[in-house]
Amino acid sequence: MSYNFKEMCWKDVRDQFRKWREDNERRSDEVIQLWEALLENHVQKTGNERHLILEQVLIAGFDTSRLDIAGKCIETLSIEFPESMRVMKFEAMRLEALQMYEEATDLLDEIISKDETNAAPRKRKIAILKARGMRSEAIKDLSEYLKTFMSDQEAWHELCGLYLAEGDYSKAVFCMEELLLHNPHSHLIHQRIAEIRYTMGGMENVEIARIYYSQALKLNPNNLRALYGLYLCCSYITNSRALGSKRKEAQKMAQWALETAGVRTISSSKIPSNDKLVSSLECALGSLDIKSN
Amino acid sequence: MSGRLTTKTGEIVAYSEAAIRGNISAVEYCRTSMAALSGCAAGILGLNGLLGFLFYFLSVFVLWLLVLAKSGTQWRKFFINRQSLLTNNFMGGLCTYVLFWTFLYGMVHVY
Amino acid sequence: MTELLIDPNIRVWVFLPIVLITFFVGVIRHYVSVLISSQKKAEITQIQDSQAMIRARLLRENGKYLTPHSFAMRKNFFNHEETGYFKTQKRAPVAQNSTAMLTDMVKGNFINVLPMVIIGGWINWMFSGFVTTKVPFPLTLRFKPMLQRGVELASLDAAWVSSASWYFLNVFGLRSIYTLVLGENNQADQTQAQADAMTGAAMTMPQDPKAAFKAEWEALEITEYHSALKNVEKDMLHHAFGSDVSIENSIRQ
Repeated sequence: MSYNFKEMCWKDVRDQFRKWREDNERRSDEVIQLWEALLENHVQKTGNERHLILEQVLIAGFDTSRLDIAGKCIETLSIEFPESMRVMKFEAMRLEALQMYEEATDLLDEIISKDETNAAPRKRKIAILKARGMRSEAIKDLSEYLKTFMSDQEAWHELCGLYLAEGDYSKAVFCMEELLLHNPHSHLIHQRIAEIRYTMGGMENVEIARIYYSQALKLNPNNLRALYGLYLCCSYITNSRALGSKRKEAQKMAQWALETAGVRTISSSKIPSNDKLVSSLECALGSLDIKSN
Repeated sequence: MSGRLTTKTGEIVAYSEAAIRGNISAVEYCRTSMAALSGCAAGILGLNGLLGFLFYFLSVFVLWLLVLAKSGTQWRKFFINRQSLLTNNFMGGLCTYVLFWTFLYGMVHVY
Repeated sequence: MTELLIDPNIRVWVFLPIVLITFFVGVIRHYVSVLISSQKKAEITQIQDSQAMIRARLLRENGKYLTPHSFAMRKNFFNHEETGYFKTQKRAPVAQNSTAMLTDMVKGNFINVLPMVIIGGWINWMFSGFVTTKVPFPLTLRFKPMLQRGVELASLDAAWVSSASWYFLNVFGLRSIYTLVLGENNQADQTQAQADAMTGAAMTMPQDPKAAFKAEWEALEITEYHSALKNVEKDMLHHAFGSDVSIENSIRQ
């Protein structure tokens, strides 16, 4: 999305920023551009909202490595709120962005010692470990963190990603299941669990994957990825040494999934008459599935 | 947060609790405003006795129809059931209505 | 019914002021309580306990979406005879009269009870003995002591309202107006605030974690695993692709 800066006034920008904050959109590039072009000189007029705006801008500054802007925002905030832990956390993030990891960790430790119930600095410390590539330490710390804050969804999600990077699929599944307990109606989480289970391989896991793919499809019939996953699972079962009736059923299911996927791809595609493209893709993808040995 | 509800047919309906709560509080806002405004109207008109209470029932009913018209055929998307839209916070609304009715009736007709 | 003639000055100097005073006292109460309420500091063990409780509750509610193995694993984590979380965590009951709670209570009383007493008493004293208005509907004699507080006239019709009673009518009737003006969860509604004060800090941990753990342990102990995903493929074909029932049958053959 591009914005015509000349037609916007600072009030529009403020409203736009508010909308992004409410929807949890980062949009760092746009935030920085709009900030520099319009809002910077009017921020005092936004009243109490300016603190939130400054936070948003400084995070965007880190994202786009505009440390000058971020530094300025932190300075403004720390003049208004000296000794604030929240501002101290941003200062630690600035050190982090400058790759001064030791100093950042020290600062975060200081915050934790002042307020040990504060979850944010603990998470930042783990983020630092991750940024330095110390994945096993990050996993260790994050597990320790989750022993205390055990219903932190974000942390479980992150731990899942870390375990996936380590290739420890059974533990990754555990983390994902923890998320599923929080959002049992999210088709994406079901789909993710199925994907991990399928990757783990083995008859039992593929069966489970098939169930979770089905659930994802039930929750969102338009989930093409789950549909294709279902096809893969079913064709795996077809080629396995399972019971004859089971294999037959799986084969029909696989066929159905593939047909439906084809129909949906054509109907939702923006490219006209893409049958040829789809069929060639099908050939290519078809050779990807795991053959049982 | 999300919740689940089992309907009569045994079918499970999933809904987002936060969204439902948001919708209900929006309707609640309308109801309170309606109670206050219709109370003012009744007071200025000088409605007496039973007529005033009938006016309250009427305005609650009209608001219900308006909400249903606004949500249209898609009301299942926004609310769990229609009856609770009509009956929710009926007494609280009546309290507000009586206050405004008495207030403006006193201002206009008593003195 | 005898018609009473009331001096218009009563309207200007009694009737209106009472409405305005009740309303603005509510608004002020809201902002004062925002001003002096302190952020509740929680102990780290309290956070841990409440998060564990949330997790156990979610397991009970949504555990049916897990595989049997995963469910048993988590149940074991909480309820295992020797190593289970609810068995091993021993918490001393939180001291009832810690200083923080005491100040909270004092503040609560300061905001809720004091204005009620002072403003009520002041209105009673300032505007005592006025007949202010008349409710526009007939009432039985039983309402007389309620509506005509401070005006003991046997011959007066029950529909007339005295100033003290007009104040109480306002207190109860303005409750929903505060939600309109100040947004939800406001502090102006003192009846609500008093109910909150009775239940204590409802949002944080219950006072006795030991009892709460025991209750959650029991609830989890009797929770049995029923998979919600048993017939999911059939459901999926049926629900999501409703028109394809024939396909379902052909697959199931």
